Amino acid sequence: MQTSANLQLQLTLNSVLISEFYPLLQRGVWLPVTTGCSVMNLLNSQLGIAEVYVQDRITTLFLDGKAIDELTSAYIEDGSTLALSTAMPGLVGSTMRRGGHLAAMRGEITCHPSQAVATGAGTVKIKLFNMLMKEIGPLLLERGIFLSGAELITLLTAGGASLRNGCDSVILDGFPLPCAELFEQLPTRVNPQQMMLLKVIWQG
Amino acid sequence: MDKILRINMGASGGPSQSIEKAGEFTALGGRATTSMIVAKEVPPDCHPLGAENKLVIAPGMLSGTTGAMSGRISVGCKSPLTGGIKESNAGGQPAQVMARLGYAAIIIEGKPATDDLYKIHIDKDKVTISVDNSLKLMDNYPLIEKLRKEHGDNAAYMSIGSAGERKMAAASIACTDPELRPSRHCGRGGVGAVMGAKQVKAIIFDDKGCQQRPPKDPDGFKAANRAYVEGIRKHAVSGEGLPAYGTNILTNVLNEAGGYPTRNFKTGFFEGGTNISGETQAELEVKRGGLATHGCHRGCVIQCSGVYNDKDGKFLTKQPEYETVWSHGGHCGIDDLDTIAMLDYLDDNIGVDTIEMGVAIGVAMDGGVIEFGDGEGAIRLVRDEVGKGTPLGRILGNGAAMTGKAFAVERVPVVKGQAIPAYDPRTVQGIGVTYATSTMGADHTAGYAVATNILKVGGDVDPLKPEGQVELSRNLQIATTAIDSTGMCLFIAFPILDQPETFDALLGMLGAFYGTKMTGDDVIALGKKVLNMEREFNKKAGFGAEDDRLPRFFKTEPLPPHNITFAVKDEELDELYNWG
Ligand code: SF4
Repeated sequence: MQTSANLQLQLTLNSVLISEFYPLLQRGVWLPVTTGCSVMNLLNSQLGIAEVYVQDRITTLFLDGKAIDELTSAYIEDGSTLALSTAMPGLVGSTMRRGGHLAAMRGEITCHPSQAVATGAGTVKIKLFNMLMKEIGPLLLERGIFLSGAELITLLTAGGASLRNGCDSVILDGFPLPCAELFEQLPTRVNPQQMMLLKVIWQG
Repeated sequence: MDKILRINMGASGGPSQSIEKAGEFTALGGRATTSMIVAKEVPPDCHPLGAENKLVIAPGMLSGTTGAMSGRISVGCKSPLTGGIKESNAGGQPAQVMARLGYAAIIIEGKPATDDLYKIHIDKDKVTISVDNSLKLMDNYPLIEKLRKEHGDNAAYMSIGSAGERKMAAASIACTDPELRPSRHCGRGGVGAVMGAKQVKAIIFDDKGCQQRPPKDPDGFKAANRAYVEGIRKHAVSGEGLPAYGTNILTNVLNEAGGYPTRNFKTGFFEGGTNISGETQAELEVKRGGLATHGCHRGCVIQCSGVYNDKDGKFLTKQPEYETVWSHGGHCGIDDLDTIAMLDYLDDNIGVDTIEMGVAIGVAMDGGVIEFGDGEGAIRLVRDEVGKGTPLGRILGNGAAMTGKAFAVERVPVVKGQAIPAYDPRTVQGIGVTYATSTMGADHTAGYAVATNILKVGGDVDPLKPEGQVELSRNLQIATTAIDSTGMCLFIAFPILDQPETFDALLGMLGAFYGTKMTGDDVIALGKKVLNMEREFNKKAGFGAEDDRLPRFFKTEPLPPHNITFAVKDEELDELYNWG
């Protein structure tokens, strides 16, 4: 999978604007990471999410569409998709819960312990749902996510005036740029096909 | 709640009424009351729309008290959709008001000899049953507007729209919420058609001059209620996830699990899922000045509902629930929240079950009536066909099974004639067992009470054994029947699952209110008793083991992306009711 970007963009944004990223976070964002590790290693050691938070808060996880019960024996491969959620309502919500009493009801889609895979630089797609978008989303964006130029254009266009007004500074490929210029010259500055690394610094 | 109101709509000279002592039903409620009365009084082989069927309405055991979450109302009858026994419940204000008026149940029986349409007004002094033909074929929103002018804003209303009057098998009974919107529905099984067959358009409950029901042990009740509310508030699901996003919080998760039935159960993943997720819905609601958190009745502390405004910021409908967003959304290939919200409003207004209606439209799409993804077309089918009672509308309004037959569709997702909701049974096989075996027909709430481990119903299950799925489903169905019988909102099941002290607080409330000690065993015994009665009724109505089955395509068509089929064997399903 893609491990480098053609263009780097750093935005300094008001922290309330995390909600503008919710559609993107639900669909999933690609992160450059070291793959071949366990889910717990990825979340805790690489992404810096406290172990107690992972254990208590991220109670529903899917690795490539399979429900995870064991955080230390499910392995991340290059190109894996990891979806994270808090506890879900309903019978099916309870059924999906990590190690839950009703896990047997979804045996067919349970992620079984796998052999450790080779480690190396790679990317993982992380999807965040519900409260986790607000709680972990800023952290992922701070660390930097890969996205296509087309996705960036959609994000900035949908964010409209609130994103523009809440943007304090822009650095494009190492060079500062007035915020208004980025928003106004979006189609000329960003090629929809280009792969970008977006980092966000949060303020306030 | 020491009395039962019996209304005979077919009495000679016009409807008659009588009051009976509640007897054994004084300390019962919800599904226990409706199913016991239906099982005892309704001939199982009667025609559901005939004079012999009865419509039984019962509040919960703690409705009309200060107890939190106690405002569900149950409606029971023989179902015109399934042909079996039915209990369908809803939130809204009627349960609280009816209970404060002192009624443990209302039984509506018989059938008028003329084609007059009636309304029933109940206050603390009397019951008035009057002809009001000016209400004929009115839909729920304008109907309630009109009734409010006459009966005021302190009342709670139950009503049917035009679908109920047309006796469509998907017709619902609307209950008004605290803002007097007819937005909470006893949806499943066509209970609205039975009310329509009795020619009752609306029931108006006015509790002016009535007090909250007093507990036998007020201090004990207060303390238990406090602990119960604390338990609900501190739990991640009931105190946080549901209030913030409502039940539609499930869309993303089901989609990710590959268990989100898409385009009439062809795949388990909908590419437009995030566009209609609870997270997206909540953001939109707040942006438009609506509410992402709202209670369907006073006394609800979870508040899983909301208010959905249109693009101009004007009220359109209550926050559509997960199952509605699914049935009108992914099931039909529609990924636009405004379209889904409009369909939710139309369903509520006409008075049809949102699950049955959405599934029927998806089946019609599969039969080539309109294309999958055609939102405008779906709106037209509900508004102009079902809403106007055209021949096509009557096919759709009679549910997914009827629609499948009419358009020669092979893949028809129903059990006992009732549409399968929102969770593909190939992905979560245990829920498939519940769909297949429930006395109610396919019903996601039939095995909803996830508290079996605390209740220890049926002992500990070994999930690795093949019969584990059946045993889990059996225990869930027993526990759910018990919770349905308390009249509590099923969403209390989550704090109960994880927090034994919250379950104890609930038992404490029931004990302190009625002055008896209730144990988990009592709750389970009640659940089993009710299920046995319902099962017996269905047997006599003609149901056998062959009806406890999922449609065959679940066994033969692998569901992408996981490519799994439903693997629980028929013989295992047949074991579900063998609990000795
Ligand atoms: S949690 Fe939801 S369904 Fe239950 S009583 Fe409250 S608003 Fe109604």
